[in-house]
Order: sequence, then structure tokens, then C-alpha cells
Amino acid sequence: MVGVNQDWPVTELDPVRRMRVLAAAAPGVAYAEKLIPAPFSAVWETASDLEHELPRMVTDLRSFEITSVRGERMTGHARGRLGQRARFDVVLRPGWCVMQSRFLIGGMAAVPEGEGTRFAFLGGLRLPGIRLLDPVLRPAIRPLARRPISRLEHRLQAR
Amino acid sequence: MAPMTAPPEIDPALVRAAQRGDRMAVADLLDALAPYVGRVCGPIALQDGPDAAQEALIVIFRNLGGLREPGAIYGWARAIAVREAVRVARRTARAIPAELADVPAPGDPQLAADIRDVLARLTPEHRAVLVLRDLEGLDEQAAGALLAVPAATVRSRLSRARHSFRKAWSG
Repeated sequence: MVGVNQDWPVTELDPVRRMRVLAAAAPGVAYAEKLIPAPFSAVWETASDLEHELPRMVTDLRSFEITSVRGERMTGHARGRLGQRARFDVVLRPGWCVMQSRFLIGGMAAVPEGEGTRFAFLGGLRLPGIRLLDPVLRPAIRPLARRPISRLEHRLQAR
Repeated sequence: MAPMTAPPEIDPALVRAAQRGDRMAVADLLDALAPYVGRVCGPIALQDGPDAAQEALIVIFRNLGGLREPGAIYGWARAIAVREAVRVARRTARAIPAELADVPAPGDPQLAADIRDVLARLTPEHRAVLVLRDLEGLDEQAAGALLAVPAATVRSRLSRARHSFRKAWSG
């Protein structure tokens, strides 16, 4: 039994699986994922360019500006199409992005899969009592998470 | 075997913030717990480890509000992870263990190279017992309580699991 301890198998949870956990645990969020036929580096380079690409993916956004950066933690200011503003806390690292304002939550995750990239998108509301609406809300808002992924795919094709 | 290295401490304030619905805190807590849950699920669920860890973490975060004492989070998460890992491993046809007689002879190069091969010859419950006792350092009473079986059953499972190991590793 010598040297067994160091060799016990360990499971690593990739960013997309972590995003599934976040989505399953957060009431009132839209979640979707898709295998995009483009390499991880290209997908993540585009998706993680929040200031330029986030308003293209989420069309309710007019602009998103990073206002401070501390390692993988950032602060951003979002402005909506109707003029609404929100301050977002952001965590951004390769394959993983989570952001939260007072009323909204968003997330993206990506992992290489075959020759492509599995990409996940999460978006939703943080409101008191939303847990009660979750069973009704979740299927209804799923398309809201599919659309940003489609827009990202078109963007990648255009490049 | 010595118990595994203690996981890093988790700030109780982070747990409470996650319980209040702060999603950044949930994401940070997920970062903190995922490696630990992966270490528990890996040796029990083997190739199904990622599914087991994902499902365990979903149960953990859906029920986080029910955790009264943030300082007990690892023990609480461990109980969920072990149960989910056994459940996921039993769900698959691959969980049918080989007979003890099928364990390769001592000195077989594949054993020296790959402990997974040895673990794969045990039932998920045997692997759970080994993880709790030899990696997590639990006594038979505590392991039995967590697996909802009497300590005597843990002892016999452990004895069988150890016997398999001994057969594979000594010689």
C-alpha cells in the first residue's frame, strides 16, 4: 500500500459544469449552452472582450464599460437601451465570467470540446420571491440565453 | 495511509453571503468547494466523477440555505458528495465490480501504473468507505453514520476493500 495516497483519482470540474451548478442553484435565470464550431481561443477572445462584445451579445445593453480591474475581479458600468444604468461586479478569467448587479446576474463559460468549444450563457434577475416563480419562469426565458450564443456565433463567423 | 491534506478554510461570511443570494459569493464558494468535492467524488465515481461532482454541487448549492453552521460546511458537503458519488456510480453499468479473483496478480505493471484499475474492482460503497476512512480520516462510527450503515458493516466493507488493495499492492 506504499504511495497509494498521492495517486487517488481527483475529479476536476470544468467551467461549463461549474456554470451548470450556478444555473441550477439560481432561481429565475435563463441558461443555455451550445457546441460552437470554433477553437476555444477564438471563442473566448471574443466573448471575454466585454466592452465591445457584451452589448452585441446582449442587445438590451447600449454600452458596458470596465471601470476598475484588480486581478480577475473588475467593476463595470452598464447602460441599457432605455437609459437605465447599473454597476456590475465581475469575475473574469479564461473560460469563466460571472457578473452581478443589484438586480441582474450574468455568466459565460467555455471549454474546448473536440475541435470546437462548448459555450454556456446564463442571465437572469435577482429579485425577492423569484424562487417561487422559477418553475414557470425557467422554461419561458430559456430562449433569452440562446440568443446571445447565436449572436456570438454569427460574430465569430463574420471574423 | 495518512488522511488527505485539510482543505483551505472557508470564511463563514462568504457562506452567509451565498446563503443570502449574493451570486458572486455563490461563485466564490463554488470555486472553494469544487476541488474538495472533486477529491471526494473522484475515487468513488471514477469515470463518472465529473457527473457526480456536478450533481453533488447542485444539491449542495440548492440546499445551502439549510446549513445552519457555516463552519460545518466541509463535513456537510462531504456527506452530500459521498452519497451523490455512490448514487451516480451505481447508476451506470460500469459499476459492476469484477470478482476479487479477477484482480491482476501483484507485480502486474498496470497496477503499479494505475490505481484507478484497482479502485474499479471495488463496488462504489467499498470505495466510499475507503475514501471516508483513509482519505478523510473518519472513524468507523462516523463513516457508518454518513453512509447510513452500522459500523460493523463499515468494518467488513473496509476489510474487503483493504484485502483487495493488499492483494493488488503487496507481494
